[in-house]
Amino acid sequence: MTTISPSQTTRHRRGRLRRFSSALILAALFVASGSCSRYEPPPFRLNLEGLDRTEADSSGTLRYSDEKLQQIVDATTALFGTPDEPFVFEETELDIALLRRAAGPVSSDEHGNPRGLYREHCAHCHGVTGDGAGPTALFLNPYPRDFRPGVFKFTSTHQGGKPTDEDLRRTMVRGIPGTAMPSFALLPEEDLDALIEYVKYLSMRGESEQLIFPLVIDDEEELDEDILLEEVLEPVVGLWQSSTLPQFVVVPEEPRPSDRAASIAAGRELFQGERGCAKCHGPTGLGDGTERNYDMWNNKKLNLDREDVAARWSLPLQELRPRNLRHGVYRGGRRPLDIYRRIYAGVKGTPMPAAGPPYGQPARSDAMPEGSKNLSSAQIWNLVDYVLSLPNEEHPEIASAERPAESPKAGSPGGAGG
Amino acid sequence: MTVAASPSPGAPLVDANSHHRGFLRRYIFSTDHKVIGLQFYFSTLIWFFVGGALALAVRWQLAWPWSEMPIVGRMLFAAEGGQISPEFYTMLVTMHATIMIFFVIIPILAGAFGNFLIPLMIGAEDMAFPTLNMFSYWFMWPAFACMTASFFVAGGAASAGWTSYPPLSVLHDAAPGSGPGQTLWLLGVVFIGIASMLGSLNYLTTIIQMRAPGMTMLRLPMTIWGLFITAILQAFALPVLTAASVMQLTDRLLGTGFYLSEAGGQPLLWQHLFWFYSHPAVYIMILPAMGMVSDIISCYARKPLFGYRPMVAAIIAIAGLGFIVWGHHMFMSGMNPAMGTTFMAATILIALPSAVKVFNWLGTLWGGRIEFTSAMLNALAFVSMFIIGGLSGIFMAATTVDIVIHDTYFIVGHLHYVLFGGSTFAVFAGTYHWFPKMFGRQMNEFWGKVHFLLTFLFFNGTFFTMHIIGMGGYPRRVAAATAYAEFARFEPLNVFMTICALGMGFTQLIFAANLFGSLIWGRRADRNPWRANTLEWTAPSPPPHGNFDFQPVAYRGPYEYSSPEVTADFYPQNQPPDAEPATAAAH
Amino acid sequence: MGKFWSLVFLSVPVLGVAVFVAAASWGYWFPQNVSAHGGQIDHLFMVILWLTGAVFLATEIVLAVSLWRFDGAKSPRARFSRGNMRIELGLAAVVGLLLVFITVYQLEDWAEAKIRQPDLPPTVEVNGRQFEWVMRYPGPNGELGDADDLFSPGDLHVPVDEDILVSLVSEDVLHSFYLPNLRIKQDAVPGMRIPVWFRATETGVFDLVCAELCGWGHYKMAGRLIVESRADYEAFLTRLEAEQNEDGFEEQQPTAANTSQRHPSVAEVVYRRAAR
Repeated sequence: MTTISPSQTTRHRRGRLRRFSSALILAALFVASGSCSRYEPPPFRLNLEGLDRTEADSSGTLRYSDEKLQQIVDATTALFGTPDEPFVFEETELDIALLRRAAGPVSSDEHGNPRGLYREHCAHCHGVTGDGAGPTALFLNPYPRDFRPGVFKFTSTHQGGKPTDEDLRRTMVRGIPGTAMPSFALLPEEDLDALIEYVKYLSMRGESEQLIFPLVIDDEEELDEDILLEEVLEPVVGLWQSSTLPQFVVVPEEPRPSDRAASIAAGRELFQGERGCAKCHGPTGLGDGTERNYDMWNNKKLNLDREDVAARWSLPLQELRPRNLRHGVYRGGRRPLDIYRRIYAGVKGTPMPAAGPPYGQPARSDAMPEGSKNLSSAQIWNLVDYVLSLPNEEHPEIASAERPAESPKAGSPGGAGG
Repeated sequence: MTVAASPSPGAPLVDANSHHRGFLRRYIFSTDHKVIGLQFYFSTLIWFFVGGALALAVRWQLAWPWSEMPIVGRMLFAAEGGQISPEFYTMLVTMHATIMIFFVIIPILAGAFGNFLIPLMIGAEDMAFPTLNMFSYWFMWPAFACMTASFFVAGGAASAGWTSYPPLSVLHDAAPGSGPGQTLWLLGVVFIGIASMLGSLNYLTTIIQMRAPGMTMLRLPMTIWGLFITAILQAFALPVLTAASVMQLTDRLLGTGFYLSEAGGQPLLWQHLFWFYSHPAVYIMILPAMGMVSDIISCYARKPLFGYRPMVAAIIAIAGLGFIVWGHHMFMSGMNPAMGTTFMAATILIALPSAVKVFNWLGTLWGGRIEFTSAMLNALAFVSMFIIGGLSGIFMAATTVDIVIHDTYFIVGHLHYVLFGGSTFAVFAGTYHWFPKMFGRQMNEFWGKVHFLLTFLFFNGTFFTMHIIGMGGYPRRVAAATAYAEFARFEPLNVFMTICALGMGFTQLIFAANLFGSLIWGRRADRNPWRANTLEWTAPSPPPHGNFDFQPVAYRGPYEYSSPEVTADFYPQNQPPDAEPATAAAH
Repeated sequence: MGKFWSLVFLSVPVLGVAVFVAAASWGYWFPQNVSAHGGQIDHLFMVILWLTGAVFLATEIVLAVSLWRFDGAKSPRARFSRGNMRIELGLAAVVGLLLVFITVYQLEDWAEAKIRQPDLPPTVEVNGRQFEWVMRYPGPNGELGDADDLFSPGDLHVPVDEDILVSLVSEDVLHSFYLPNLRIKQDAVPGMRIPVWFRATETGVFDLVCAELCGWGHYKMAGRLIVESRADYEAFLTRLEAEQNEDGFEEQQPTAANTSQRHPSVAEVVYRRAAR
């Protein structure tokens, strides 16, 4: 047996060393080539939800040709810029400085101010385009809001109204309980401002894109800036501005009744009878009314089979369950005022109807004839009181509290240990 | 097994012609323990690189949260400008840990080194149940397949942490990875459990029944002791995890409620069952490494292992205590705090045998004649890093202190000091040490040392810093701690750690190049290049099917280096007492 | 080469100590402690740090010295020794005593932190859900768990210098109620109601962290702990109550009738068009 001393083993051969070195350099180059590729800014995705791209007229020309779609993209870009470089016309009254703070990749500028807040906090659910179809969206129920149609569920405004800045701030600060929307209360004030501005921006952009669609596809217009401003931007911005004016906000005409018990009883009557709330929310309020519901973002997918939905929409069909009113979880807020507004103006984009009158019409007064569809302010308060009483109402058909024992002593952590 | 029952010493053992087989039976569905060991080795090596890549992605996100991630971001998140999503981050964390623990450390120690070394070191021609042994490897493949597939199913791979705590892992709506990915994860764990149980039964039987004549239990090398005790741990603890995983599967798929409080179950039950296996698993991941390091240090210090019997006793004590300390993972879980005290006492006691081991390694070095080979350096790194990992464990074991560092980066640092600083350095050491025996060639020493030095520096840069941010309370498994004012101050340290981690990751390419390069270009090795005592070095390199050309007989313990009885500085176990040194067995 | 490698290994204790010294002097240390019991936990940490630090230094230096002194390139034949049982037993005894000391030394604090629950009604219920903390305060009737409870998502207000008993629950998955500045951590487990108690000693706003992986939004599950004076705390509760019962009624509100002219009618037209 020949034994080799350790000093021999540490000696290497030059030739082998060179071969090893070249292998290592190759490996390093391979890795470097992967990591040094340039950043490619993501585009806003064209809103093709629900469209059948193969649709063609009798002569066989495609209705949605690449060329036309490119025109739409160009026109929308001319109005709003890109995710990394937002741009707005003065008419939008959006603050470009705030938008810049929210847009683009996550970073910070030379003064240490954050950039890319939207992509840091929002985009993984709501998508870079604001289409509510970010990578996380598929796993959430309900889906994150698609901002592009410009419809927001929880607003303080009348039916058809846009959210006020205050509404958006409230949603962001409090989150939406019972959904995946978390609270962003810890963000600094100016970051919240930037994000609110950016959500409005994405929404206006999405709505504008929808208005450009028929102009390009149906009217085949040559789009110039004047047409875009007049026929697209003005109506979109006009609605945002007008429907968020202070007077468009739903304000109860009467205070909440002080006789709570009587109000609850009256509310129960309305809930179970005349108003038909029980039809969806169930007679016990458990949200188990038999109807299947879909919100406006989903009901267009209803009559398509699964493959069609997959081909035309970013997300599969999702059912909307009427709220279980005994949970004590209120997505749009738990203040009586919030619930009043939900009942008065409905939950926008969902089958939850408005019980109050549309903007500009007088509310029903007790003097009005029976059979009028609208509820009076007092009646809405009755419903509010009834709904708020449900989580604590004893009901023979419902098992008592799902919550763990209330006394901390009773549940002190002994049982689980063994 | 008695000496009398065995073939007489010196008789030819293997008829070389009796093992001619086709390629498939020889290299793929082989029942030869060495081939199976190498199959384990290369499979785990591939997973080591997958798991390492996941770790680098995790580090990237922590240093530069939500920035464009190289390669991954480009491929998967182009629409988001290359920034990953938070559920992708939780998946990265989960799968990094799962892969590194279940597919790398456990199988490379028990599967690769265990299979390769046990028969060779005890002087047997193969395992007791070669076919069972083959199955133990091939049962890994369904597990590999499950985990690989889980990356491609809807929702991605499991993302409930490698601990898979219910209800997060049971409720389908709770997390994206709680979809099919989680089911596949559990199936994978069940398959790994089966594979390891088959392996451990085999190891136990082999070590108890197949030792060469004269190889008493107290002449076994420490590697074998480590693997023996590991096999006992696996045989007793794994069925619990497998059963618990099956229960979680039925919770997910059949609507049972073992772990769901609303169905009358208890989420903490999983934690108890999981840690009843997974704490012993920590020792499964370190005991064989301790054994290998003991052998390697003694060999390159040219000195007997200091305190062989205390070392054996320490391994047994660690394993025994390992069964009654699982609760120390649950001090903050809502388990009765009074039970925490009991678990704390048992846990802190483990420091005692660990201290004995460290002391004995140092005692072995003291007065030795140290040869600084790559294998030795990695083994020394094991000792040095295990000291840190062991000492930082005391902080967590103390229940009161655990309140502040539980689920922070302190524990991430601690566990990496044990699993990377400990086990992985031991794997490197074992690779450099036994490579000649595995392939008949030697690894390049120069690149081995470069690899060691860089890994050692980058490793400490990455993980030592974690203790600091852990003391600062920085929580683990958080995709970006930017939401917390308290932790923003640690951002520079996060960047530092990531740069070190990237360096460490790329350094492993040196190891890969060295490993595969040496397979082809490495210098040929003879039977005993390190002048070691244990029996595997008396077989040819690489050993043929059947291992030994003569039945080895053990005349003494494995650590008779620099014995005054012989002139050479080693005294192989199989060398008859009167023969002149170290030539009898070779060639 | 032995000297070189010895120095490499010597760098571990040297740099290790340097890192801790640097961290301490640059403020990378414990979060500011604002609790009555936190100082004791920090003290225990430091005790263990000094003890383990001493062992760490001793062992790592012995390791480095061995490498320096017993370099094979210059050493003669190694000393043949199989060990020394007496030293082993002595070592075991010393280490054992140290460990018993650590164990016993902190028992009292553990009992204070987790076992001896103060005898008072819960101040607040903290409910973890994906991905936020919802605090539930007793309403005007002082009872927790009935209709007039007050809810404060995200913000945990507590009065300073008073014993606080938190009743911790979870709605969906495991969370962990972690107040770094109060040295408090406790998992929230669905189906269990776990008491947590503390006494905050300084006013201010601090982090409330989720420390148990609870899904993709785990990192977002941030809350605030607001420690304030008794008066501010009561003002907060009053504010919370007022807000929670807000009915939005104002005496002199603009009525729909007298403002409708300012509302451009185009809006409704456009809305119909946009919703098409």
